[in-house]
Amino acid sequence: MWRRSPSLLLALACGVTAALAAQAPNADSAAISNAIRTRPGDSLGRLAVPEAAGRPAEVVTARDNEELVKAIEHKIRCTCGCNLDVFTCRTTDFTCSTSPAMHQMVLARLGSGMTEAQVLASFQQQYGEMIFMAPPRHGFNWVAYLMPYVGLAVGLGLVGAVARRWFRATPKAAPPAPGAATADASPEELERLKRELEKFEA
Amino acid sequence: MTDIGNVALWITFFVALWASVVGFLAGRTHRPELARSAERSIFVMWGLLVIAAVALMRALLTHDFNVEYVAAYTSRNLPVFYTWSAFYAGQKGSLLLWALVVSTFGSVALLVNRGKYRELTPYVAGTIAIVVVFFVATMVFASNPFERLGFTPPDGRGLNPQLQNPGMVFHPPMLYLGYTSISVPFAFAVAALLSGRLDTGWLHAIRRWTLVSWLFLSCGIVLGMWWAYVELGWGGYWAWDPVENASFLPWLTMTAFLHSVMIQEKRGMLKKWNIGLVVGSFLLSIFGTFLTRSGVISSVHSFSQSNVGWFFLVFLVLAAVLGFGLLAWRWPMLQAEVKLESLVSREGSFLFNNLILIVIAFSVFWGTLFPVISEALRGTKVTVGPPFFNLVNVPLGLMLLLLTGIGPLIAWRRASPENLRRQFLWPVTALLVTAASLAAIRMSDWWSVVAYALGAFVVGTVVQEFVRGTLARHRLHGEMYPLAFVRLVGRNRRRYGGYVVHLGMVMLFAAFAGLAFKRETEVTLKPGQSVDVKSPYGWTYHITHQGVSQYEQLNRYVTAATVDVLRNGKYIGTMRSEKRQHLDSLGRPTFEPSTAVAIHSDAREDLYVVFAGAVEGTEEAVFRITINPLVWWVWYGGFVLALGGLITLWPGAQGPTAASRRRAEPAGYVAQVA
Repeated sequence: MWRRSPSLLLALACGVTAALAAQAPNADSAAISNAIRTRPGDSLGRLAVPEAAGRPAEVVTARDNEELVKAIEHKIRCTCGCNLDVFTCRTTDFTCSTSPAMHQMVLARLGSGMTEAQVLASFQQQYGEMIFMAPPRHGFNWVAYLMPYVGLAVGLGLVGAVARRWFRATPKAAPPAPGAATADASPEELERLKRELEKFEA
Repeated sequence: MTDIGNVALWITFFVALWASVVGFLAGRTHRPELARSAERSIFVMWGLLVIAAVALMRALLTHDFNVEYVAAYTSRNLPVFYTWSAFYAGQKGSLLLWALVVSTFGSVALLVNRGKYRELTPYVAGTIAIVVVFFVATMVFASNPFERLGFTPPDGRGLNPQLQNPGMVFHPPMLYLGYTSISVPFAFAVAALLSGRLDTGWLHAIRRWTLVSWLFLSCGIVLGMWWAYVELGWGGYWAWDPVENASFLPWLTMTAFLHSVMIQEKRGMLKKWNIGLVVGSFLLSIFGTFLTRSGVISSVHSFSQSNVGWFFLVFLVLAAVLGFGLLAWRWPMLQAEVKLESLVSREGSFLFNNLILIVIAFSVFWGTLFPVISEALRGTKVTVGPPFFNLVNVPLGLMLLLLTGIGPLIAWRRASPENLRRQFLWPVTALLVTAASLAAIRMSDWWSVVAYALGAFVVGTVVQEFVRGTLARHRLHGEMYPLAFVRLVGRNRRRYGGYVVHLGMVMLFAAFAGLAFKRETEVTLKPGQSVDVKSPYGWTYHITHQGVSQYEQLNRYVTAATVDVLRNGKYIGTMRSEKRQHLDSLGRPTFEPSTAVAIHSDAREDLYVVFAGAVEGTEEAVFRITINPLVWWVWYGGFVLALGGLITLWPGAQGPTAASRRRAEPAGYVAQVA
């Protein structure tokens, strides 16, 4: 997993962002091709202990992978108590029977001609607001979204107020005395600094 | 032996009570014999807890299933490696570990500072003892690891399969070490407030401790991310779960403290703020455990729920009252020694850095608790998950990344236009070139563009600092460049270690931005069938299902699905994802089958394959395939972050600054190099 040499990694690092950018994530919704190829003559064996492989899986259809289905399922929460969205739960927790059922509900509602908004609204009607992975942006829920930025504004205000008080209390700095050291030191000054540093480090 | 452990716990409880009483009494009366008694009690307490820990470990390793904890978390066929980790797999054992580590850190803190900070150490001993009293009381009154069953089962229940992973062996102890080591800075802060010795002396004593806590927390969090990624199979490493958030909160406040403490050491400012951050960090470390144990908020970590949550809540409230009450009492004594001269200064940038860190902490805290608030005020349950946290925190995180670049370069007191021009010319050029390049090649996700551009800015600032420092040493001392570089870092470890930490942060931000390009799909394949999956980089993975095999291995029955993977026609490897049915020593299934993920990883992206299940008991398999760009950078970013922390922490690094020592001396401390 970690076999690459550091130099190669560094070289790769330079190209990472550019290469990433070359392919926009949503530009090609069919980026993952499900065209399955079969070798002739392959047989289908049976497992010796099927139950050891967990709950029997359903054959995946093209509809299961539709971007719209995924988008909806990423927005709604599985009600099994796992805290995951429906898509993640049904493709991760293979012991959960709730998320596959909710997936079927999504497919059925889309199949009946509902739009994304209507499907989401139907889930809200059925389960309440908690079905969404984030609070819907209306009414009291705005408090959730705005409070961090209210906190930021209050913090900025406090910093500003304290700074203004401090500035008023601070006497203006006297202008530098003639001949005071500047950032651009002479060779003699650098030599002296070097001696001092050596003394200090010793 | 378990009876000895139980007795040791009870004696610890009384010794810790004694230590807390005499510690505070010694601090108040300045009686050295009481101070000595308090200190010795801490060492005795540690010895007793070691005995209790050895007793529990022995019970685990000898399979003493009459002990409820042993029966609940181990089985005869559990590998020794995981039997050992079962010590902290459950609540009772983790409470014992917590108490042991607090007393260990307390003992070390007292030993290291023996003869120093004489006015503080009795209070430190007293505070550490109170923390231990709390944990031991929780054990002996509510959650005793030595509790016995009325019968002896032939075998234990075994360890949850998800915990049978190396990541899970190291992740919890690291987090515990991080949480518990915050007790020492907290104890010193309480001691400084009680004794009224509020100069920078107490800061010298805790500087390394705070770094140690921060380092353990950082490692614990990254290891937790790694465990979630390789074990849980959902293709991600951070889900904004309440318990994850709880570990992130003290990390944020500790990070803020590590920056703001520099201002206090250098300029004598932000004294109240720094004490507030230490107290807040300690409270947040307890808050995390309260969330885990209480079940107030639903979490994937709910396996650790129990009845001790309310113990933690009471302790949390008492500690908050004590910490902030003392801070309020000493408020007038915590005036800044100098005033801020300009917001365009190092102090100003650190102020903003602290502000952003605290606002992020607040947003995470707020989001975590909002479901409870919404239900209490409106009677409506809501879910606050990743979409909320990402929406709120991405802009704040990017502001923080910007300040990560600005802070180290800007002058103390007041930056001149010349200083700004000289310091920021090249980093800003790097930022603009990166942004323009990414815009030119039409990178679609603007947040990612901003993240990479700011990352280039921060890297520019760090590289510039290393280059300038090395050149200056070369010019002044005539050293060869490599030697000049090594000595530059070696003699300014705090500063350059900090820069390495910043580089680690950039790597982490780059990885997080890469998530915008994640792709995921599910597919059903019969043996011999293939699927083509397109990467965000443009190449194609050709994945061929080779078949499913079943066999017994260790304490489990494995069902393994194997695929061959070609990238753009070139073979890159065979990957095997598994379903694991764990068995007890009698061969009976325990727990539900778990999943082992197959990952092909390099610096560009991970191909993440999960065997989701078999169709109708045949070799026809369902796979979840995810392409995760730049995940590698999370692990190595974490490594670089830890490396930077270690450089800063390494013994021999320079201690407090001259300015900081000057501030401690008038108060009567012998300034010590920490």
